[in-house]
Amino acid sequence: MTRRRVLLALGAGLLALLASVAAALLLGPQPVSLQAALAGVEPDHAILLGLRLPRVILGALVGAALAAAGVALQALLRNPLAEPFVLGVSGGAALGGTAALAAAAAAGPASLVGAVVGSGASVALGASIGAAASTALVFALGRIGGKLVPEAALLVGVVFNAFAAGVITVVKVLVPPEEAARLLYWLMGAVGYADPGTLVTGAVFVAVAVAVLVAASAQLNLLSLGDDEASSLGVDVGRSRGIVFLAASLATGAAVALAGLVGFVGLIVPHLLRRVFGPDHRILLPASVLFGAAFLVLADAAARMAFLPLGSEPPVGALTALLGGPLFLWLLRRTERSG
Amino acid sequence: MTRASSHPAALAALALAAALGAGPWPASAADPLPRGEPTWLGPTAPPRPTRVVSLAPSLTDTVVALGMADRLVGVTRYDTAPEVTSLPRVGGFLDPSPEAVLGLRPDLVLWLADGGAFPAVRRIAELGVPVLALPVVGVPDVLRAARRVGAALGNPAAGERLAAEMEGAVRAAEERASSLPRRRVLLVIGRDPLVVAGPGSYPDALLRIAGGVNVVKGERPWPVYSLERAVADDPDLVVDAAVNEPADTIVRLAAIPAVKAGRVARLPDDRVLRPGPQLPAALEQLQQALKAVR
Repeated sequence: MTRRRVLLALGAGLLALLASVAAALLLGPQPVSLQAALAGVEPDHAILLGLRLPRVILGALVGAALAAAGVALQALLRNPLAEPFVLGVSGGAALGGTAALAAAAAAGPASLVGAVVGSGASVALGASIGAAASTALVFALGRIGGKLVPEAALLVGVVFNAFAAGVITVVKVLVPPEEAARLLYWLMGAVGYADPGTLVTGAVFVAVAVAVLVAASAQLNLLSLGDDEASSLGVDVGRSRGIVFLAASLATGAAVALAGLVGFVGLIVPHLLRRVFGPDHRILLPASVLFGAAFLVLADAAARMAFLPLGSEPPVGALTALLGGPLFLWLLRRTERSG
Repeated sequence: MTRASSHPAALAALALAAALGAGPWPASAADPLPRGEPTWLGPTAPPRPTRVVSLAPSLTDTVVALGMADRLVGVTRYDTAPEVTSLPRVGGFLDPSPEAVLGLRPDLVLWLADGGAFPAVRRIAELGVPVLALPVVGVPDVLRAARRVGAALGNPAAGERLAAEMEGAVRAAEERASSLPRRRVLLVIGRDPLVVAGPGSYPDALLRIAGGVNVVKGERPWPVYSLERAVADDPDLVVDAAVNEPADTIVRLAAIPAVKAGRVARLPDDRVLRPGPQLPAALEQLQQALKAVR
């Protein structure tokens, strides 16, 4: 029964992803013809396959990672408002990535240390470590009388975000101006133009994190019942929580390293899916991976289209915040009423 | 500074980074921005390009000054030169749209090398469009850019002429400067927060030539300056280059004795901030300002 529903959800997710990829490939400020592109006619070929396709892949990776991390954090915190951006996990990742970049800039980009520390894998690793540290902080300080209080944890996350933003501002002053410009561009939350090597490294990080979370999705069901209930049902709560926690941090770290601070994807996507497919994490998690990818690919295409009226592309993070901010507030009001 | 290609340690590091499967990420520090000498990205440009996209107003000015405005097919949304008002816009100096650039099928892209736009511009070059990256910081860079853009457009003589013209203006300004008293100047670029031109910035270089002394010390070209510090610096003259802000809001800086005493010279436009062929006019503006105050 569940298997059929999982397959149904996956099928729907796959269809959504394919549809959004097709739309994103064909939509943009520059009209292009698919036929011409496939026949190798320029500039259609370069725009479709050289610009839009890598961006679609990047958007899909980031969307999948953030949505999966959102579901995992919501299960751990037992609160639908938990989300990497709101909880300060993205902020921690940004801080970790910034530290790696600043260290590389300090060592000199042409030096051996600079090149290794500034490489994509190091930035992603730094971001993942920052994400893990901030998750640990949020879960440790979000306890009152030994019990995890979601509202307290969320507050810790918000405050930590502000703190991380402050530290990043100071780092921005310390690095050379041209590095500061790059840092700013990265943190804005834009799905930009990554080369194939970056996409492959990013895909590996995201695939590992997502695979671990999907494998742990049955345990997430039990963990979301509460620690006592989960351990009475035979779950090694500490161990399971630790694994989920690390995988969510890795997913967030990779997403932030790839596209900076794109907020609320982990809130919007799981929320909509929960309404359609219900709260079972065995369905919710894999579906979030696919729908998260589809969502961000589509949102980024919309950001790209905004070039026509605006003359500039807003970063996709601005669009997701535009949608996610009000949704967060609405969810907050609703949980308040039901509680 | 293209040392990276000749430095064995850098080569080893690049090889290691490649071995790690770590290509440059959007914000990666592993691939340094072009600096110093202008460099080519992507394929070689044709000897006489006819579809040119300029990604900076000062480079547009250069092409116009070279008398080749008709070769331009796209500019930034900040471009205001009358010769390019009807041209398509490809985004801003910091946020060019690669799609809009490629859509114009350019055979040459002129880029004022900058960190924010680097990933997008690198991708444009990778997709087969010749990009001339021009790091322009100081006055020598402006002269070099004129020569290099002239050569890239297939008319090195025009580039040489423009550069010589600007060089002549610099020398003339230096001569005039020798008869001027050396005023201590604070160059205000933005008011809220107070941003000033520091050592290493383009206006600082112009001020030096014009015969002024910048009161701002330190290493940052565009520091957010403390008002207290500005008061303590006690400049003879405040040059108000914040042309996008209303002139009268300078009273916010009235704590600076020079502002209080009305020793403020407001610049009529943003020429001192556009490292390009506006150089002679910018020097003249600054010297006017220095002369105006007793």
